[in-house]
Amino acid sequence: MSTLTRKLVPLILLLAFPAILRAQDMKLPPGVEKLASKAKETVEVNMDGPMLHWASKFLSAEDPEERKAAKLVANLKGIYVRSYEFSDEGAYSAADVEEVRAQFRSPEWSRVVGVRSERDGDNVDIFFKLENEKMAGIVIISAEAKELTFVNIVGPLEVDQLADLGGEFGIPKLKTKPQSSKPMAKADKGEQK
Amino acid sequence: MTESNKNLNPLEESLRNALRREDAPEGFVLKVLARAEQQNIAANDAQRTSWLSIFSQPLLRWSAVAAVTICLVIGGIYYRNLQRQRAEGEAAKQQLMLALRIAGSKLQLAKEKVNEINTSRPEPQLQNRSPRSRS
Repeated sequence: MSTLTRKLVPLILLLAFPAILRAQDMKLPPGVEKLASKAKETVEVNMDGPMLHWASKFLSAEDPEERKAAKLVANLKGIYVRSYEFSDEGAYSAADVEEVRAQFRSPEWSRVVGVRSERDGDNVDIFFKLENEKMAGIVIISAEAKELTFVNIVGPLEVDQLADLGGEFGIPKLKTKPQSSKPMAKADKGEQK
Repeated sequence: MTESNKNLNPLEESLRNALRREDAPEGFVLKVLARAEQQNIAANDAQRTSWLSIFSQPLLRWSAVAAVTICLVIGGIYYRNLQRQRAEGEAAKQQLMLALRIAGSKLQLAKEKVNEINTSRPEPQLQNRSPRSRS
């Protein structure tokens, strides 16, 4: 590799990084970013719009699962996933998770599901982003005893498409018919004690 | 018989002799075919020799070798890039499917938890919700 190329590559990456961050709604605190070193297993998926469309070209039209996936990602702007699986409990800080949750307590986001289970320590939050009464993104924060997962799907996601996923990938058919942001907020299921 | 007729007879005789039908000697046809084939082969050899003679010039010979080599190299690079792109695309597809599966499993978890909450809560008393009690 030439000296010029060696100098250019970090520069290009440095310029591209803020663009990637802008596309992603969720910003993970440094504490979460460092969890990869503690985790037994880490999954990190960062796919922006062009990458999604490129990947979807390789989805087979003959495979029903892949066909539905292609339809789902057709209009998406990005899919970002961070999942950490730990050997022991208490590997992550609840404050870090709360910091991520706090990012979605804005008017454009609606918390449609929020589960707090003191019995097994599984906490799940699902946030929908609404733009012009249409879903424009979904964030899932799942904080389990030995697993911490953040999912951010950016882009126009039709509720029907989401429901379509019910049969695929193990995604349930959620009863979500957003009319406005207020009813969505009321759909919050509260806490389990 | 006139004088002229007398003179014509020897001429006529000699013509008749010259033009009389005569069978070809034995093996004549084979000889003709063999000669024709020889001529054909010789013509082809001459043509081939003239086409290959282009490469007798060193510059042209090496140019041809270089052109073939370049074509092979370009073809190889193109094929390798195609293979690499396909591998990268397959990896991206796997990543995408993994991301969707994780999202699906977490939504499933949320649904299970919500169902747990719903089943653990007691059914609301319908009697208390009579139209009279609302007013």
